[in-house]
Amino acid sequence: MVSGGGGSAVALAPGRLADRNFKYYMIFPAVLVILLIGLFPVIYTLIISFQNLTMMDEDTSFHGLMHYRALFEDARFWESLLHTFIFVAVALPAELLLGLAMAYLFLERLPGRQIFVALLVLPVVTSPIIAGATWRLLFDNQFGPINQILGWFAGEPVPIIWLVDPNFVYPAILIAEIWQWTPFMFLLLLAALSNVDKSQTEAAELDGASFLRTFRLIVLPAIWPVMAIAVLIRALDLFRLFDVVWALTRGGPGTSTETISIYAYVAGFQQFETSYTAAMAFVVIVILAVSITLVLRRLEIDR
Amino acid sequence: MRADKGTGLALRYVAAVAVTIVFLFPIYWLASISFKTPDEIFASPPAWWPEQIQFANYAVLFKDGDVVTIWNSLVIASVSTVCAMLLGTMCAYSIARFRTGGNLFSDWIISNRMIPPIVIVFPVFLLYVRLGWVDTYIGLIVLYTAFNLPYVIWMMRGYIQDIPLELEESALVDGCTRWQVFWKVVLPMARGGLFATAVFTFVFAWNEFIFALVLTRSEVTTFPVQVTHYFGGQSNFWAKIAAMSMLGTVPIFIAVALLQRFLVRGISLGAVKG
Amino acid sequence: MDRRKFLVSASALAGASAFGLPRMARADAAKTAVEAAKQYSGTEISIVWEAGLQSLDPLNFSGPMWEEQTGIKVKVIEVPTAEMFTKILQEHRAGTGAYDALNVIPAWMPDLVRAGALEPLDAMVDKYGYRDQLQTIAPVYRDNQMTVDGKIYGFPDDGDVFIMYYRKDVLSDPKIQAAFKEKHGYDLPVPPATWKEFDDVGSFISDFTDNKPYGATFFRDAPYAQFMFQERFRNEGGRFFDADTMKATINSDAGLKVFNDWLAENEWMPAGVQTWGFVENLAAFLKGDSAMTISWPPYGRWGAGYGTDEEALSWVPKSQIAGKVGYSMPPGGHPQLAAGFALSISASSKQKEAAYLFIQWLNSEETSLQRVQLPYALRDPFRDGHFESPEYKAKWPEAPEYLAALKAGAINGLLDLSLIQTDRYEEALRQGISRLWGGDDPQAILNDTAATWDGITDKIGVDKQKAAYTAWASKPNAYPS
Repeated sequence: MVSGGGGSAVALAPGRLADRNFKYYMIFPAVLVILLIGLFPVIYTLIISFQNLTMMDEDTSFHGLMHYRALFEDARFWESLLHTFIFVAVALPAELLLGLAMAYLFLERLPGRQIFVALLVLPVVTSPIIAGATWRLLFDNQFGPINQILGWFAGEPVPIIWLVDPNFVYPAILIAEIWQWTPFMFLLLLAALSNVDKSQTEAAELDGASFLRTFRLIVLPAIWPVMAIAVLIRALDLFRLFDVVWALTRGGPGTSTETISIYAYVAGFQQFETSYTAAMAFVVIVILAVSITLVLRRLEIDR
Repeated sequence: MRADKGTGLALRYVAAVAVTIVFLFPIYWLASISFKTPDEIFASPPAWWPEQIQFANYAVLFKDGDVVTIWNSLVIASVSTVCAMLLGTMCAYSIARFRTGGNLFSDWIISNRMIPPIVIVFPVFLLYVRLGWVDTYIGLIVLYTAFNLPYVIWMMRGYIQDIPLELEESALVDGCTRWQVFWKVVLPMARGGLFATAVFTFVFAWNEFIFALVLTRSEVTTFPVQVTHYFGGQSNFWAKIAAMSMLGTVPIFIAVALLQRFLVRGISLGAVKG
Repeated sequence: MDRRKFLVSASALAGASAFGLPRMARADAAKTAVEAAKQYSGTEISIVWEAGLQSLDPLNFSGPMWEEQTGIKVKVIEVPTAEMFTKILQEHRAGTGAYDALNVIPAWMPDLVRAGALEPLDAMVDKYGYRDQLQTIAPVYRDNQMTVDGKIYGFPDDGDVFIMYYRKDVLSDPKIQAAFKEKHGYDLPVPPATWKEFDDVGSFISDFTDNKPYGATFFRDAPYAQFMFQERFRNEGGRFFDADTMKATINSDAGLKVFNDWLAENEWMPAGVQTWGFVENLAAFLKGDSAMTISWPPYGRWGAGYGTDEEALSWVPKSQIAGKVGYSMPPGGHPQLAAGFALSISASSKQKEAAYLFIQWLNSEETSLQRVQLPYALRDPFRDGHFESPEYKAKWPEAPEYLAALKAGAINGLLDLSLIQTDRYEEALRQGISRLWGGDDPQAILNDTAATWDGITDKIGVDKQKAAYTAWASKPNAYPS
């Protein structure tokens, strides 16, 4: 883990006045840019969420909590939140467990391990929108290979219409998502596992401890910091899930796979409900801020 | 015992190969479509490999000028990476060495990476309308710079903290200004970290979709947006989707292959010092 | 009035207008545009075009030709249909001037005009003497897809209409005819004229031939099916709204019947037909796997084998059915004038004059006649002259019948629903259709969709929307008469 500021940093303590301001000069440009793109939009979002801007109207008068109230009654909004949580709740553990299993597979000496790892990481660096497009080709019920492969196992043609059938559309999106990000978990967990003190695990095994017991008592505490970071990064990414769903279903059939990001895009850029979208965005910020604070406090992995 | 070990290794090897095949298959499929003829693409049951490698699907992208989107991506990703690295490393140095702003400041910096793009894309769009930055290089460059800054600051802070202080102190004693110390001592020492961080910054900007979707029109369309243009209309133009995707993905694969050493630390936000 | 009478009167009308106007002035529209445009030589204009096949026209034909004649480069910006409206509006908001000329789906035109995104064209039409040639655009397009509140905002440029294509050889097969009569007690109609007949014939053929070919196939993917719904719903007597209360009435019996009939039809159509778009359905039809289908006019050209040797069409399966295809109105007799395109100028363009001249040249009698005959392009005959063109009629043996069907379609056709924020109503309908394919209950979907529509109407303002709807519904081609 990254530790706090170096203990002896104060040794560089400034002497002259110009020196004293140096540290502020150094952060100034970065802070300016972050304020422009990070803070300003959030404040601006808050402001327009109290107005009534739409495609046709530039109504900037104060409308109070009108949009927040409407949001509260908007079933589509709550459903999109629910869909988002489903994606997080399924994909996150799946990626973690698969990644862990793969990490164990590659943990011990294996000829050509470097090459395997290098190949396995490719999904992670693929553009998510490209990953989505690729899976759309794979899932095509006529020209894609997935139904064909399933057909070999089933012994008869498999006519699943992946991206239309409500029973299969979630699995389809989840498969694409898990395919892309399991290697991420794998890579981090492999690195963490490699750093676990071997003598301890071996001693435990000699004592006759089961694999699970060894894992829980020795391995898990050792890899926990890395795992927590990995889970946090992925949870945040999944919460903003957009690209893969956009490429695969655009939120369909109906709105059944619409995530909060997709609904916000549709409301903001296709329906031009500017103020309404702003209210939605602000609610998302609040949800996110609250849950991150809670999670960080629990995990105590701040910094 | 030994035989056991041998079998175990063989089994693990088979499993490793199987897993790798599963994870690479989609990429293989994408690549194979990019070389297929229309008949092969629309064959049912699907053809698993092209009869012969032909480049017509790529050629049409060059002929119609669609490859310019790769160039756009390259310009935007490169320049924004350089900007983010410069500003971010300066800021990281200040935080690492002077604890500027305290913990609160670093927390605030990294919290900016957690804002979902969708939340700020609309106000940014309206802001850019005012500034005249929609569909310009500068618009996306500033945006990606800002979005990458928290990451760069966070990563570079870690790398700079790994550098021993003595060199900087002796440089100061030798009469270097602070800036010279930063530029001539710290940056060279942090070379490896700079390089690794820059690649991930680049990859983010290269792959980004939603901002590019909203903030480009025609002049600076990036390649992920271009790929989505081939969906819909009368058909999904699979040949073009596949060929354009390959053009945009292969360079990243190569970059990452060259970078194995830094990979883990880079994608774990520095949590693992590989 | 029956179809034949319609045809006769329509051609009489077309003839009259052709003779009634000064020929010289009209013939000059293309030339005038080229001459006037030469002063902008060396510049570049951009035009938004539907991504994919549509764009082959400006990319391979009209764009290069215009550049050769005027020295103005044309940059084609391909945008997927689903994003065109959004992109144009976003661009209007952004005002970068990135778009000069636009392809606009006529049903959106009022919305875009209300938002101020389109440039009124009257002044330039007069300046460059184009009014006369606008009059020779087929009436249904001219009267409904050109103006908003009396001002010209676009040139109708695409005679999009759903035509039914049927395999004469299959439907007239004596064995099929005999067995059909035995089963259903009436002669197999060639072609079916009602949806009842259509479903009888289609299911019978699938059954009788063991799906070789299927009795019919359709594009069922929601963006396409949305138009099919609008057409069939109105042919079944449906009304979109209650004219008094402005409550949505698509959840009426007519709507339910369409949804239920669709589900029943899927049973005897190919598995996965729910996902079929334009190309999947085209491939099935051209390969001879489908005895009947309904689609836009290019199916007819490619089915006849016209132009499918072109390299640009190499991905289209070679037609196995040339010479075997009959053309008619879809069941019910009133085809959807689905989508279509008009050429407009963006209000934020910085090169309006040059862009205008380009679209006048594109749309002119002379250029458009060549464009609608491009084998690989998707622009369909939309001028009186196109339907009558001897050159076109000679393209393949059945071409005269084909053009006659298009012309009849233009007369009997039904306009796409066009209100305030039409896109949102259509979006709700598309979502409803995708839910239908997902297996939800038809009545529940329709009720939800109607509720969504009511919600949109409320938000826009019932009175405002009612006025827009009343104006639209009073057009002769809004509902079957």
